[in-house]
Amino acid sequence: MLHLIWVIPVFSIAFISALPSGSKPVTATISVILVALASGWPAVAALTGHPVDTSIYAGSLIGDVAVRLDGLSAWFILIINFTVVTGAFFGTGYLKAHQNEPSRLSLHWSSFVVFHAAMIFVCILQNGFAFLVAWEIMSLSSMVLVIFDHHKVETLKAGINYLVQMHISVVFLTVGFIWVYTQTGSMDFDAIRTFFKGNPNLWLFLVFFAGFGFKAGFIPLHSWLPHAHPAAPSHISGIMSGVIVKLGIYGILRMISYLQSDFILLGEIVITLSVLTGLYGILNASVNRDFKKMLAYCTIENIGIIGIGAGIGLIGIGTKSPVMYFLGFGGALLHVLNHSLFKSLLFYSAGSVYLQTHTRDMEKLGGLIKRMPKTAVIFLVGALAIGGMPPFNGFVSEFLIYCGLIQGIDTDSIYQIMLMILVLAGLSVIGGLSLLAFTKSFGTIFLGQPRDPRQHEAHEVSRLMLIPQYIIIAVMMSVALVPGLYMSIVKVAMAGMSETLIVDPAAVDTYSATAANIGLFSLLVIGITVLTWLIRVQVMKKRPLAEGPTWGCGYVAPNSTMQYTARAFSKPVGKIFDFLLPEKKQYRELEPAEIFPSHRKYNAQYRDFFEFNFIDNITRFLLKGAGYFRFIQNGRTQSYLLYGIVFILVVFLLTAFNILQ
Amino acid sequence: MLSVILILSAALFFTGVINRTKSILTGRKGPGVLQPVKDIIRLFKKGVVYSTTTSFIFQAAPTIYFSSVIMAMLVVPFGQSKGLISFQGDFIFFAYVLALGKFFSIISAMDTGSSFEGMGASREALYSMFAEPAFFILMGSMALLTGQTSFQEIFADLHLGSPISYALAMLAAFVVGMVMMIENSRMPIDDPKTHLELTMIHEVMILDNSGFDLGLILSAGLIKFAIYGALIVNLFIGMFPYEYTIPMFFAIQVMAAVITGGIESFMARFRMSHNAQFIFALTSVSLLIFFGVLMLLGKFI
Repeated sequence: MLHLIWVIPVFSIAFISALPSGSKPVTATISVILVALASGWPAVAALTGHPVDTSIYAGSLIGDVAVRLDGLSAWFILIINFTVVTGAFFGTGYLKAHQNEPSRLSLHWSSFVVFHAAMIFVCILQNGFAFLVAWEIMSLSSMVLVIFDHHKVETLKAGINYLVQMHISVVFLTVGFIWVYTQTGSMDFDAIRTFFKGNPNLWLFLVFFAGFGFKAGFIPLHSWLPHAHPAAPSHISGIMSGVIVKLGIYGILRMISYLQSDFILLGEIVITLSVLTGLYGILNASVNRDFKKMLAYCTIENIGIIGIGAGIGLIGIGTKSPVMYFLGFGGALLHVLNHSLFKSLLFYSAGSVYLQTHTRDMEKLGGLIKRMPKTAVIFLVGALAIGGMPPFNGFVSEFLIYCGLIQGIDTDSIYQIMLMILVLAGLSVIGGLSLLAFTKSFGTIFLGQPRDPRQHEAHEVSRLMLIPQYIIIAVMMSVALVPGLYMSIVKVAMAGMSETLIVDPAAVDTYSATAANIGLFSLLVIGITVLTWLIRVQVMKKRPLAEGPTWGCGYVAPNSTMQYTARAFSKPVGKIFDFLLPEKKQYRELEPAEIFPSHRKYNAQYRDFFEFNFIDNITRFLLKGAGYFRFIQNGRTQSYLLYGIVFILVVFLLTAFNILQ
Repeated sequence: MLSVILILSAALFFTGVINRTKSILTGRKGPGVLQPVKDIIRLFKKGVVYSTTTSFIFQAAPTIYFSSVIMAMLVVPFGQSKGLISFQGDFIFFAYVLALGKFFSIISAMDTGSSFEGMGASREALYSMFAEPAFFILMGSMALLTGQTSFQEIFADLHLGSPISYALAMLAAFVVGMVMMIENSRMPIDDPKTHLELTMIHEVMILDNSGFDLGLILSAGLIKFAIYGALIVNLFIGMFPYEYTIPMFFAIQVMAAVITGGIESFMARFRMSHNAQFIFALTSVSLLIFFGVLMLLGKFI
């Protein structure tokens, strides 16, 4: 069964390149569905108590590669499969306009199937070497997917940025695996456990955390996300944000499951970094006017929330608290699912907007709810869910994480109490800011009047693009209304997270029951709303209705440019947090002698604090250093020949005098 | 169930008492205590005018806002009697279900395409964001003090230990009281009687609402006041028997309303640019409670 996961993509690539443009996406979709079935079957089996544990012989160099599919892998595989399948359907509709570019489509859809298979292999391969190969294939194929619009300079730049950062991540991972190899002589993941048993846990974990943290987007390793997500076509942004980023989380959770000591210290590190990540991400999301960039920053925020859950779980293992362990890891894993659902939904609907209006700048949009009502409702559902509002799924996982924090307060360690209360406050600020960020985005893109006349051409997207989004909403609502079912699956998935803590099921019973009951309360929220609405409809039948212009406070000729802008909406936040949100303004001052000023422009963009202050400086320093060696590459053939001769001479002399021994 | 009946009955007179206090303090005759309720009933009977810019969001938002407040009301307990819904961590549900209502009231303001309403929406989002940590640190400290995680259990166990907890309850009442002012857009954050749209927060957001929808929004406002009043009451009543607590409930509610009215008669609204700092300063009061709890429990070495 597992062999099908790579056999199907290999065949489908051949078909994709041979078939005409119209059939390429269909072939890719069929292939993706087949791979999803082939991997979903053993994943479901693993979650019902039949994990896979085999090995593949991979030549004399690597030897036996362990292939294990346990609850944790199964959980991620199912999430990957769902998101990739919806992405394939949505992408088919999204790329319809490129029918006459067969080579581009071939490359795109071939990478798509490879990418899907690589992600599944990342979840099941448990040999350092093979894992890195799968990891690398995943990074490369996703890079090819990102640069679909390769004729745009920014897209290529974003792609290269992504590629470079992913390789810094690989360096960390390689160092980690080699470290384990030198100590234990094995590349198998089990060797990591052996390593942790005999050595201090802190440093190796931090090396892996840095490696996986690049993928997940923890600050300050996040700077690829706000570039790559907007550059990629929307179905790819949705999948990247929904699942690739989560594979970083998978790696971190996998490493946590091997840990043997230092739980509390590591938990404190993870939770602190996570809450800062969350705050930083949502702060940037609330001020950005590019809506796909806004969603990318919001992904960083949600990674922070997931990280808080993982941190609570780690502290739970360390303090032998099964309730914290359950709430922390349970909340984190459920939030991984929830975020993959609503973030892909948001990216798909944002993609529909982009497809119709050809702009990612919110300030040029407005009033789209009249032209694209379905997309507007879809975006609204995603926005409410990502803000953690009750009748939607985001609330369930955020609630578990909140409860974990409150459980964590109840302890004797003063440091832990302080940390937990501050994280609690941080998480509540994250919630408040995400309300601001999403009311701003939804309000500016979909409500009010069009700010740009070109938008009048926008109309609702095709059914092929809408149906995958409806399916995502259906799954989201199932999480919101029947959380008990998902929690029972999460319990299986997190069973292997700790080897030192024995969880007594009775200890977590009350919270399992509460989590299950949240569905009922969500239903009650919906019920009360529907009831009020029905009463309203009944009453309104008898009342006169009238229409008129918006009250302009006495002014009778308002126009669409007088509406409150997205920038103005979030400006107070930008002002208060200006030390974290550097702004680049471009404008020309009015000269004293300029009596009749000419037409002028004012441009202000928020910049990424870490990128602007750290990464750019490091890059500049490296470039300057590399500049000293520029004389070597001077473009003269003669010098290049000379280098060859010098090299041969050196090798000859070294050999002749036997120095190379 | 008891709490729901009490909150609804307090909602009937809360805003009326505020207005009556203001009229007495400013030497006016003033309307009766039940005038706000009469206004709402009148609004329910009226027709509706919609702006041509608005969409269905504008029509649905008041309903959702109202039901979110109702839902929040169901969570609030009264002394020994639980709210209709009570579970571990229900105060998180309380905060987030109110956020749902706020989300819709903000986007309905943006739906009108008016710059004034957008301005109010922006301020509402900012201020409520800053009020969140104060509320959560407060509830977290109380959870630490009592070892409980639901509203009813926290309030019931609050005063079982030393009497110093009443001092903390006073501070907590201040925080909840200020959150009440922020949530209901009252002085010193917002001036409900201002005449200039530029300086409004909540009032400007509902400029375009009329008829039944406006009635829903206003009645939700009345209930919201009473909900926060009930929270303040709960900080003090603990496990006293009902014959004391029910009169106490009304006494504290009336007192809260009179104080609100007094503040509105003698104070001016804060400068808009300083509101954010002021609200964030509430968090430090919450932190004070937190440190008080730590000292009470002897966790400081």
